[in-house]
This record gives sequence, structure tokens and C-alpha cells, in this order.
Amino acid sequence: MSTSSTSILGTYTKTITVVALVLFLLVFSFSGLRRDIWLELYEFFLWLETTPFGLIGKTWGAVFAVVEAFHLLSMALLGGAVIVSDARLLGWVFTDIPVQEIQDKAHRVFVMGLIVVLATGVFMACGVAGKLYWLPVFWYKMLALATGIFFVFFIRKPMLKGDIDKINPTVVKLVAISSMLVWMTVAATGRWIGFAGS
Amino acid sequence: MNQFVYDIAIWLDDTAWSTLLHESYYMYNWVESTHVLTLILCLGMLFLIDLRMLGYALPNVPASNIANRLNIPMLVGFGIMIITGALLFYAVPVRSTQSVWFRVKMLLLVGCAINAYLFHKRMNESVSSWDNDARAPSRIRLGAILSLVFWSLVVICGRFIAYDWFDCEYTSVGSLSQVLSGCIDGQARF
Repeated sequence: MSTSSTSILGTYTKTITVVALVLFLLVFSFSGLRRDIWLELYEFFLWLETTPFGLIGKTWGAVFAVVEAFHLLSMALLGGAVIVSDARLLGWVFTDIPVQEIQDKAHRVFVMGLIVVLATGVFMACGVAGKLYWLPVFWYKMLALATGIFFVFFIRKPMLKGDIDKINPTVVKLVAISSMLVWMTVAATGRWIGFAGS
Repeated sequence: MNQFVYDIAIWLDDTAWSTLLHESYYMYNWVESTHVLTLILCLGMLFLIDLRMLGYALPNVPASNIANRLNIPMLVGFGIMIITGALLFYAVPVRSTQSVWFRVKMLLLVGCAINAYLFHKRMNESVSSWDNDARAPSRIRLGAILSLVFWSLVVICGRFIAYDWFDCEYTSVGSLSQVLSGCIDGQARF
């Protein structure tokens, strides 16, 4: 999954790095670590509300709502790219088209969607940062989002760069299913922030 | 007409299931979450089809291939979205019928349906001559752009329904928003 021959972690540098990062985020989210350093982190969240994004988000509800809608639309774009590329890996669609072809093109759409998701997400978070900090579901979403991004760029993409026929088909299918589950979790936890925060 | 719509909304609101759905924190949120998640499935497929016609996504894959393969998951998502949308309406019928955003959203959905019909009709008539082109002919591209615009506006209006800026309860009698929302003089329920 990774080819860095000089790394002390050997062949699986990126995979091990991602697993370590995910474990760190899990520990950070669920242990007392976040509470232990809450003061600095909470102050950062409060500062976010004073930034121009935060002020606009708090002052103009209509702007916030439009950005929310674009967040959702870009999530749809991202979701579409994920579904198509993973469904191809599972052999559900476009089986007559080479895997690499679908992966490359779908990845471009995915990146476009991700950029807008992140930009609109940061804007929205700035407007309600003080409240978000106290919502466990917000941290679950950040955990899922970080996992999704690391998974795509450090595991899925490098793995699919090479000759896919040489990879165990079960591993390919597991990667596709994991990818769908991670992004579905991102979307679901994002939706739940709205309920938990209201 | 507004009175008729209001009476139907009141009748729906008086049914036990409407109250149960509205008052159930988890069930209502599950229905709403399903609505949003299937929106991602439906619009995700639709956007890829539209962007393919415009030459921005999967340009090397035949257009008919994209449209035919992605139509099924798109329609599955659309079907679930309609069912969950109807349930969300049923849970809050009075406020929904008197929401200007809900009314605009319904009009836009009609626009989406007409555009989808014309898009597929035109595509089926001519696709064999441009199937492998990176960009579809201008008439098809226009349909794709209209689809992207209409659906984006549907999502924006859907998002706006959650806000109470123009609710009958908070606007003055005779104002434009009250006319557009179909508010009833002296109505007791909102």
C-alpha cells in the first residue's frame, strides 16, 4: 500500500501512519485528553466566532443558510463520486470500463466536492464554533472526516495507482465498502449536528 | 384556494400519526436524515450525469452508458426522498403549506420533472450521433445546466424551510410574504 523503501516503517508506511492518526483521533475524541486541554482548544473555538466568517455566519442567517445548502450540494457531488468509484470496484457498474479510468475521473470530481465541502464547512463552523465544541457528534464527524480524507489519499489512492489485478479482490472490495461506510458516516454525523445543536 | 389548502393541512395535522411523527424526536430525525442522505445518492448521480454532458466528469465514458447506469440508483434515491419528504410534510402540514420556500420548492420540482422529461427525450432521439463526444450538443447541455440550477435551488429552498423568516406567525397581515405564503386572516393554528 506504500512503497517508501527508506522508511523505518517498511512497505506499509502510509497505512501505519493512517492507522496511528485514526487511533490518536479516537483517543483524543473519547478519552479525557480533549477535556484536559479544553481551555486552549475552547479559546480557539471562541476565537473562530470572532473571525470574519464567524461574524458573517452569526449576523446574516440567510448567508449561513445558503452556505449550508452549498455544503449539502457539494456533499452530494462528493457522495456521487464515492458511490460511482466504489461501485466500480465492487463490480456493480461500468464493468466494461477499466477500473483505473473510472477511479481517475471520479477522483477529480471527489476532490472538487471535497474542497467545497471543507470551505463551506469551515465557514459554518466559525459561525457556531462555541456551541459546536460541546457537541460530541461534532467530534465524531471530525473523526470520520479525517479518517475519510486520510483513507482516500493515503490508502485508497496509492493502492489503486498500481496494477489492480495484482491485488487480492477481497481487499479491493473491503476498501470500497470501507470507503462508502466512512463517507456515509461523515454525512450522517453532519446531519446529526443539526439535531444535537438545535 | 388558500383556505382549502389550509383546511386540508389542519385535517392532516389532527391525525394521530402526524402528531406522533412530529413529537417523536428520534423518528422525525431519522426520517429527516434519510431524506438528506438519499438526497446525496439521488443528486450525486444526477450531478455526475449532468457534469458528463457538460464535459466535466468522466468525459471518456459514453454518455448513454453514464445516463443508463446511474439512472437506477438516482431513481431509487429519488423514490426514498419523495417518501421521506412526504412524511416530513405530514409531520408539519400547516407550517409547510404556508411556507413560501416550500411552495417555491414544489414549483421548482415541477420544473425539474419537465426538464428531465425533455432532457431524456432529446437525448434518446440523438445520442447515437454524439455518444462518445466529451461534450453533449448544446440543447442537451442546456438541459444539464437547467437541471443543475433547478436542483440547487430545490436544495436551497429546502434548507430555507427550516427558517422562520416569513412564517405567517411572525409577519404582518397583508404583507407580500403573507400573500405568497397563503396565510389566512385570523388563523389560529400555525
